[in-house]
Amino acid sequence: MIELRGVSKTVASGGRPLTILHPIDLSAPSGQFLSIVGPSGSGKSTLLGLIAGLDTPSTGEIAIDGVEITGLDEDRLARLRGAKIGFVFQFFHLIPSLTALENVLVPLEIAGAGRAADKAAALLRDVGLTARGHHYPSQLSGGEQQRVAIARALANDPPILLADEPTGNLDSANGRHVVDLLLDVNRTRRTTIVMVTHDRELTDRADVVLAMRDGRTC
Amino acid sequence: MRFILRMAARELRSSWRRVAFFFVCVAVGVAAIVALRSLIQNVRAALAAEARTLLAADVSVRTDRPWSDAVRRAVDRRLADVVPRRRTEIVDLTTMVRAAGDADARARVVELRGVREAFPFYGRFELAGGRRYAFDLLRAHGALVAPELLAQLGLQVGDALLIGDVAFTIRGVILAEPGRRLGAFSFGPRVLVDYAAVEETGLLAFASRANRQLLLQVPEPAIEPLVTALRAELQDELVRVGSYRGTESRIERNLERTENYLSLIGFVIVILGGLGVWSVTRVFVQQRLHSVAVLKCLGATGGRVLAVYVTQVALLGASGSLLGVALARLALAAVPERLAAQAATAAGLTTVATDLTGSAMAQGVAVGLLVSLLFALAPLLEVRHAKPLLLLRRDAVRPAAGIDWPRAAALGLAGAGLIAVAVWQAASLEVGLYVSGGFAAVATALHLIGRGLVRAAAPLERAPWFALRHAALSLSRPGNQTRVILLAVGLGSFFIIGVRAMQTNLLGNFDRELRDDAPDMFLIDIQQDQAAGVRAVLAAAAGEAPQLIPVLRARITGVDGRRVSFDSPSGARRAGLGREYTVTYRASLAENERVVAGRFWDDVPAAEPEISIEENLRDEQGLELGDTVRFDVLGRQIAARVTSVREVRWDDTRSGGFMFVFRPGSFGDAPHTYIAFVQGPAAGAARARLQRDVVARYPNVSVIDGLAVLDTLRRVLDYVTLAISVVGGVALFSGGLILVGAVAMTRFQRIHEAAIFRTLGANARLLALMLVLEYGVLGILAGGVGSLGALILTWALARHVFEIAWFPSLLANVSGVFVTAAVVGCVGVAASVDVLRRKPLATLRAE
Repeated sequence: MIELRGVSKTVASGGRPLTILHPIDLSAPSGQFLSIVGPSGSGKSTLLGLIAGLDTPSTGEIAIDGVEITGLDEDRLARLRGAKIGFVFQFFHLIPSLTALENVLVPLEIAGAGRAADKAAALLRDVGLTARGHHYPSQLSGGEQQRVAIARALANDPPILLADEPTGNLDSANGRHVVDLLLDVNRTRRTTIVMVTHDRELTDRADVVLAMRDGRTC
Repeated sequence: MRFILRMAARELRSSWRRVAFFFVCVAVGVAAIVALRSLIQNVRAALAAEARTLLAADVSVRTDRPWSDAVRRAVDRRLADVVPRRRTEIVDLTTMVRAAGDADARARVVELRGVREAFPFYGRFELAGGRRYAFDLLRAHGALVAPELLAQLGLQVGDALLIGDVAFTIRGVILAEPGRRLGAFSFGPRVLVDYAAVEETGLLAFASRANRQLLLQVPEPAIEPLVTALRAELQDELVRVGSYRGTESRIERNLERTENYLSLIGFVIVILGGLGVWSVTRVFVQQRLHSVAVLKCLGATGGRVLAVYVTQVALLGASGSLLGVALARLALAAVPERLAAQAATAAGLTTVATDLTGSAMAQGVAVGLLVSLLFALAPLLEVRHAKPLLLLRRDAVRPAAGIDWPRAAALGLAGAGLIAVAVWQAASLEVGLYVSGGFAAVATALHLIGRGLVRAAAPLERAPWFALRHAALSLSRPGNQTRVILLAVGLGSFFIIGVRAMQTNLLGNFDRELRDDAPDMFLIDIQQDQAAGVRAVLAAAAGEAPQLIPVLRARITGVDGRRVSFDSPSGARRAGLGREYTVTYRASLAENERVVAGRFWDDVPAAEPEISIEENLRDEQGLELGDTVRFDVLGRQIAARVTSVREVRWDDTRSGGFMFVFRPGSFGDAPHTYIAFVQGPAAGAARARLQRDVVARYPNVSVIDGLAVLDTLRRVLDYVTLAISVVGGVALFSGGLILVGAVAMTRFQRIHEAAIFRTLGANARLLALMLVLEYGVLGILAGGVGSLGALILTWALARHVFEIAWFPSLLANVSGVFVTAAVVGCVGVAASVDVLRRKPLATLRAE
């Protein structure tokens, strides 16, 4: 499902090249729950961004569901993300000017999906937020916002779900609720999940754990 | 497409309050375009429906001379084949009238018209009190007069009026009349009498400035052939032949031009709104970069995201434009019916509708929408730089180095588009380019002045006083709207201060001219046998005998020259020398003249006629030293050689100014009249007495009071100043809206800052003081921009256009700066009141 071969990232820092991710090979088959752990600055988020096509690698190749993405332009990458990848962020990143329901609707509308409103309502019901559909993000708690973000990530039923510290900004009760939701998705939909996390509970329940330090796996 | 429309609508739902002000500016400009265009299009429509009444006939043949047999025969011959046909004659002249039977009566200049029974063929007179017009009212020395004459002379219907030496009875008051041309300049109120009675007054003595018209009514298909045939046959006669269609199309052309130029005023206001749109879009896009990144992360391509925001601007632009149409409707509906009727009457029409026209609405909406989109395009392209990576790393937005070609192309497109809209609105490439160039130059100048002033105010950022220091710092806060506010508000105050200062300059110069020993009364049509008598009356009233200047009226019939040559009046018309010239003869140069080429003659009369020409005739019409010019002077042919070229200072009226001056002796004993320039008595009563004394003894002499003309001029200038001030006021209003919008855009940042200041110990009073100072400083800067711009403008206009002495109008400039500062201060503080009300804890928690 996800294939990385010799992928690295070097950026310019103070006029000098700085390698923030050393060459890495990685393979995550369909339905795997892969957890990436490591201290701050270890290259976890960089790796996640590269898998999502949000950034381009300095070397190496990345294939998503059999599609080589390293040579794709911005628009093709956007379409690929819309069809194959769902995102959950630490800071939720909901669009503040849209209601919860509309936030879930957006990826369905971008993809031109039929019966988008019904699907979005169903997804909100799945995450237990039917009653909150017409509230704006600023009117929701952190846990509720993250559940909306999960519903949004699942809208187009993507084969891959990428999550960047999804419980990092939540209290333990809400964090547990979110973890249960993600594991349920992984189990019932056979969705491949790549998750950056500090959460021991989440790491323990992952199929594979990738530990990183200073831009390398360890 | 559905996604784009839905997203645009949802975004609008949350942001319209903050961006609406900018589109209200667009609405104000669109309203101006729609209202002004509709109004003039309505006048044009009314004109098309009533075209014949403007001439009161189908065809007119007019001349400034008595009818010649040749002309009469030609008209008779051409009319012989046309059936049915009617003809009548009218005569117009400017002359003096006074109340009869009162030795102290005032004398007034009027426009006298003599008509025969058949007049008018089209249209009808409207008389006060609903009376019907009939020619019988004019029989036996009856007169109909305009209402203002009754007020000026203290007369009423039934009283007697002296015209020349003949007494007329006022039998009615004219409210509207056919055959009065739209926008025609008028020397005085109308007096209508029987044609035959005008002849009795003796005012039609030769050399009087009478305009005679032969009016014809013929079947429609005969009009054009008749006009063409008469023109061909009479081309070398001193007559003009025209049809109602010609009058209509000339007025129509003027109206069309007026409509297009007026709509440019609206266009400039729309542009101001556009500047606001540009400014707000920049800030708005910065605030939306996060949402754009989310959309891209969810699979939206750059093009679709851009389309969402372009659609949003289009929706706002369209709403603003439609609001503008509604405002225009309200504005026209607010015109009282009576005022509209009066305006229509003044224009010689029976009614003018006050509805909006479809084409005006379409143009207004199109301009509003286009300008909104063109101004928003370049800032909207910034959404391309919002990378989805921003969601993982906050430092991920890096604008690419080097030239951003798409953005440069968008800027080029916007510039070209705006010029195209200006050209379209002016319906003239030249005017469109001038307006665009002029606006760009003014905007650049005001922008540079603004930058200079902001820089000059920079030391305030280090002021020891906390509130002042932070007020100054706010001018350069991130996302500040200082530049656009300075430009918009500055432009408004620039218009207002500029026009007021220019008015002061112009009137100041006229006053100065009249204050010195300059003449302020002008006498025309003094006959040769009246010269000594008039001189005596003037000497008795003014203390010294004035110089009478002999004048003759002459037309050019041919030129043998190096650069121009022709041999007929029609040739003269083609060479731009077709008009009738008032010429004089004298032995020496006048005080306001200087010879620039050739040699002025000495005081010995010569057998061979010689002329001295004004330099414009050389520079514009191509006459040269040594050329021979042939004149028709009252039927007498005179060929004169050009022996000198003069420069005339036209602003010095003491000696008058003549395009052609003849050497004495050139005319032999040809009869001529005199004009005189005198400095009348200072007191109003004495001036009126002088006018009355001259007219009582010499009724054919017209005495024009320069002070009255100056009063008229002052009134005209007042109207022009008011009109430009209204435009400036609307610009200032737009500036105010942009200011309110700018405050709304930076509201969150301000609330946040205020919360931090409060936690650090600032109380509401200090925060309020900071706001007052911030907007006070901004207002003073904006007023300074307008005032400095106005100083430069008035200086340039005074020196290079009006060629008069320039002096800075302190009152207009200083009060302009203070009024602008007060307006900006009040609007800014009023729009920011809720910043002071917020509790800091709630704000900081929301962070």
